Amino acid sequence: MSKPLISVKNLSVEYITDTVPIKAVRNVSFEILPGEIFGLVGESGSGKSTVVQAMMRILPPPAVISKGKVVINNENIMEASKADIIGFRWKQISIVMQSALNALNPVLSVREQIHDVLDTHKGINGKKADDRAKELLSLVDINYDRLESYPHQLSGGMKQRIVIAIALAIMPPIIIMDEPTTALDVIVEREIIAKIIELRRELGITILFITHDLNLLMEFADRLAIMKNGEIVELDKVKDIQKGGKHPYTKKLIGSIPSASGKREKGILSKPDSLDSPKSPILEVHNLEKVFQSPGIFNKNKIVAVNDVSFKIFKGEIVALVGESGSGKSTIAKLITRIMRPSSGSIYLNGKNKKVTESRSVPLDYRKTVQMVFQDPFGSLNSIHTVYHHLARPLLRHGLKDQKEILSHIIYLIEKVGLNPGKKFVEKFPHEMSGGERQRVAIARALSLEPQIIVADEPTSMLDVSIRMDVLEIFAKMRKENNLTVLFITHDLASARYLADRIIVLKNGSIIEENTSEDLIQNPREKYTKQLVKAASPGWLNSLSKSS
Amino acid sequence: MNKTIYQNSILSRWFIGIMSNQKAFTGSCIILIFALIAIFLPFFIQSPTDFLGTPLSPPSSEYIFGTNGQGQDVFAQTICGARQTLLIGFSAGILVVIIGALIGGTAGFYGGRTDDILSLLINIFLVMPGLPLMVILASWLPPTPGTLLGVLVLTGWSWNARVIRSQMMTFRNRDFVSAAIVSGESNIRIIIVEIMPRMLSLLASSFIGASIYAIGAQVGLEFLGLGDVSTVTWGTNLYWASNDLALLTESWWTFVPTGLSIAIVSFALTLINFGIDEVSNPRLISERLWRNEIPKDMVSHGITPVFNHHE
Amino acid sequence: MNKSLIYIARRLSFYLIAAFAALTLNFIIPRLMPGDPASIIFARFKGKLNPEAINAMRQSFGLTNDPILIQYWSYLKGIFRGDLGTSIAYFPEPVSEIIGSGLLWTIFLAGLSLVIAFSIGTTLGIFIAWNRTGKLDTFLPPTLAFFGALPYFWLAMVFLYVFGFSMNWFPIGRAFGNQVSPGLNFAFLFSVLYHAILPAFTLIFVSIGGWMLSMRNTMISTLGADYITFANAKGIPSKLIMLRYAARNAILPNLTGFGMALGFVLSGALLTEMIFSYPGQGFLLLQAVQSQDFPLMQGIFMTITFAVLGANWLVDIAILFFDPRTRK
Repeated sequence: MSKPLISVKNLSVEYITDTVPIKAVRNVSFEILPGEIFGLVGESGSGKSTVVQAMMRILPPPAVISKGKVVINNENIMEASKADIIGFRWKQISIVMQSALNALNPVLSVREQIHDVLDTHKGINGKKADDRAKELLSLVDINYDRLESYPHQLSGGMKQRIVIAIALAIMPPIIIMDEPTTALDVIVEREIIAKIIELRRELGITILFITHDLNLLMEFADRLAIMKNGEIVELDKVKDIQKGGKHPYTKKLIGSIPSASGKREKGILSKPDSLDSPKSPILEVHNLEKVFQSPGIFNKNKIVAVNDVSFKIFKGEIVALVGESGSGKSTIAKLITRIMRPSSGSIYLNGKNKKVTESRSVPLDYRKTVQMVFQDPFGSLNSIHTVYHHLARPLLRHGLKDQKEILSHIIYLIEKVGLNPGKKFVEKFPHEMSGGERQRVAIARALSLEPQIIVADEPTSMLDVSIRMDVLEIFAKMRKENNLTVLFITHDLASARYLADRIIVLKNGSIIEENTSEDLIQNPREKYTKQLVKAASPGWLNSLSKSS
Repeated sequence: MNKTIYQNSILSRWFIGIMSNQKAFTGSCIILIFALIAIFLPFFIQSPTDFLGTPLSPPSSEYIFGTNGQGQDVFAQTICGARQTLLIGFSAGILVVIIGALIGGTAGFYGGRTDDILSLLINIFLVMPGLPLMVILASWLPPTPGTLLGVLVLTGWSWNARVIRSQMMTFRNRDFVSAAIVSGESNIRIIIVEIMPRMLSLLASSFIGASIYAIGAQVGLEFLGLGDVSTVTWGTNLYWASNDLALLTESWWTFVPTGLSIAIVSFALTLINFGIDEVSNPRLISERLWRNEIPKDMVSHGITPVFNHHE
Repeated sequence: MNKSLIYIARRLSFYLIAAFAALTLNFIIPRLMPGDPASIIFARFKGKLNPEAINAMRQSFGLTNDPILIQYWSYLKGIFRGDLGTSIAYFPEPVSEIIGSGLLWTIFLAGLSLVIAFSIGTTLGIFIAWNRTGKLDTFLPPTLAFFGALPYFWLAMVFLYVFGFSMNWFPIGRAFGNQVSPGLNFAFLFSVLYHAILPAFTLIFVSIGGWMLSMRNTMISTLGADYITFANAKGIPSKLIMLRYAARNAILPNLTGFGMALGFVLSGALLTEMIFSYPGQGFLLLQAVQSQDFPLMQGIFMTITFAVLGANWLVDIAILFFDPRTRK
């Protein structure tokens, strides 16, 4: 048993407020052995980023480390002097921060941001520094002509790689990676992780990897710790956790959303049988196109967000629109719900006679028929209004209920989406509820008008993993009980398979492939679909390392 | 649930929140005091226009601020001058915010061509220097309070319009607005019921900023002689002080009280704005609290302090 | 590089539109007033000037009996030729000559004060936001805010009174002393600086608070950004972070605001000049108002507006160098 490289004992971190301090991290203890990949898993708000930033003591105010001992490579961090700490940083331990998109200084070029580390710690500058910078960039597969680029000229994936390159700059023995791939496309994410593991193999670095995705981590980590509400609830070797884990929370995390590949397991929702008799479709989209023009007279820049998209949806179906960011799926959602007008193409609702894209103003009738659930449960509710307001307004606007019946109807709706007791929730404000509760309210709002179609734009991607299935089940329940049609938009192939009957795959504004969920997963036809399926299946790491 | 009570509670909750801030509260008290003095005190003191004492006599027990070049009581002049100056100043403030909200809000909410045109209009007025334009207008027009008001509003509306426009644009892109649109709410209703209540702080600080500007600009114009020099306002007080060669005769008391009053009022208004800023940006407060709790030698930029503050 | 040129051209076209709007405003205002502008002038100068002079004035003022559009066209032609009309107070001197003499003094005084106030204010803002250690941050912002609330010309009177009349430390007016002859000699330059101290000090005193506060605010929000935490983690020395990471980003919104604040600060400069009888545009404006010399007033309006627009454009170009996002 080798001596641990990192030792954390009883670490506690608090945030000072005008009332009681917020205890973000409570008595966290763990050890990391040299050369291993140690994972830290938890939902947003569990404290995992706080822990690692506290370890490096880079937490900004109003944070205070109220207790604990951290030893990194024989250096006692809590008692080190200011000079020691600064000398320590980057030499002994570096960090790839969450959302690397914002980790780079917008006014400095890539070269300057690599050079300053080299200069500060090794005193290297000029040509020697340039050479080193080129080496680093090639390590992460970036062309050295990017040295002169500024952050705004780089894609998300490139920025992430550059931040990793900076983290490697003076070859520290330990690197912390805080959700390094969360904001990236699934395929890019898998490639970057494969690269990280390759680097680990070649350079022998110890890695502390943070993510909210347990399944992802179990593919490549050696040991991991699971955090909830600032505490560690499980800490074990990955092999042991795969067998089930001890804490009930672990079980919940593992059990959420069955994988996108392999045989159809029991957990997946069953579809009603009466689906196989298509009459005329409830929603039809023909040659839909949306082009965005940059504002200003001299600007010639055009972005084609949606390019000649056509599809049909039948009553009672759940259809998933799967694509990465930039594929145009959210734009299609906005076009169908008439938040935006298409550049060309047509949308037919309920039969060929009613072509709806003609009129400028949207008839109230359409609004009643087509409703939407948004991605961000906090953003889609107005923070100054209560649940009552959010649900009453649509009802009053459409004249569906009068004043006397409204309150009881609202309580009924809230309880239908699983918030009990309804009476308690009616008067709450958004900030008094959790993310999952808010999203349920948003769904109740959409359902209040008894629409025929609901467009759900990534309804679970900003929710904690442990409750995603519950929210998706609400849609399945509505489809079964009320014959509701759902257009489910997501980037996650696994949830699409879980919930939807059919899947449409989008890339760069165009439809790549379309099929029933099972057929698409088992027999993908297009290359891109195959990549997606592979990336979402267990064992993706092996397939990637084989091909590279 | 009664809608009126509910709407009022948003307003009153916001108001209470602002008033619990020390700076905003102090500033508001000062303004309130000035306002009360301006409204009521003139009834109890002697007329500022009577030619009473020896001209240019320094402060004494009879005239606590002394007399000006015409032998008028400076104290009375200072007190009575407050009325018109404050009245026009705050009126201009309100008008500026209303116009700014109408134009800026429309531009921000509707976007597209409407925004292009209105933004151009806003930017043109924004970039044109105010004083020369005011001078020309005020010279051509008859020197009435109405002229003054009009000129102040014309040169002052664009700043607020721009600020309100960008806030409106931010809100416009938020999901809760899209959700309201998808529910079928009309645009007007969305602006008034969903967005405006969230802009209360911005509107309030716009009003205060506009009032500060209006008071200062008004005084400047009157100082140049472009107001009605027969009326008693803070600006005309200074005009006459300058005309009667206050500096040459070293009669500081003819211009210092008025100037200080203007400064105190403007400062109080600025204080209120500081307070509103702090309330809208709670990070400022939590950082200050953090700084107060940590012992000085542990505060080092970029290094989280290790400190058990429960001990 | 293309993007930069497009950006410069777009900004220029905007300023041209604004200049045009100002020109048109300038043309319309006298003609919108109730009554014929000519008769207004006539009424004011009744008895002081003979009819021929009044007629000549009307001509030079553009108030002929031609239809409006013709008047507008000849007005525009005149502006492009540099003809701003004839002054009433200094009749028959052309306005452009009168203004020309004062323009440099205003640019000197306002420019000098602006540069000093902006530099010191911004630097103070950086340090205060960086340290945020009690004393300086709690007492400086409210104090400077109080100074900023003082009317420029009033403070000018106070300073003039205290340091000029009372204590006789500084001259009480004019741009340079009587004994000195203008030219590139040491005595002259010294006199110019000596006379500029009080007015410049007034301007700096009032405006510095604004610059400091806005820099402080942008610094505070910049310091909360992720890239600052990342830079800390990299072990970059504090001073470098303060300047290269924080200040360089925080200053950008202030530069954009600089252009807009320019017009405002200039107004203050004009009023200050009046108190100090400083022979710039402000002083000229005062005289124009006192003698109701409308052509001169309007000429000053045009000149100042063009100057501010031009300065704004220069600031926009400067931003190109500071913010790579505008460049491409």
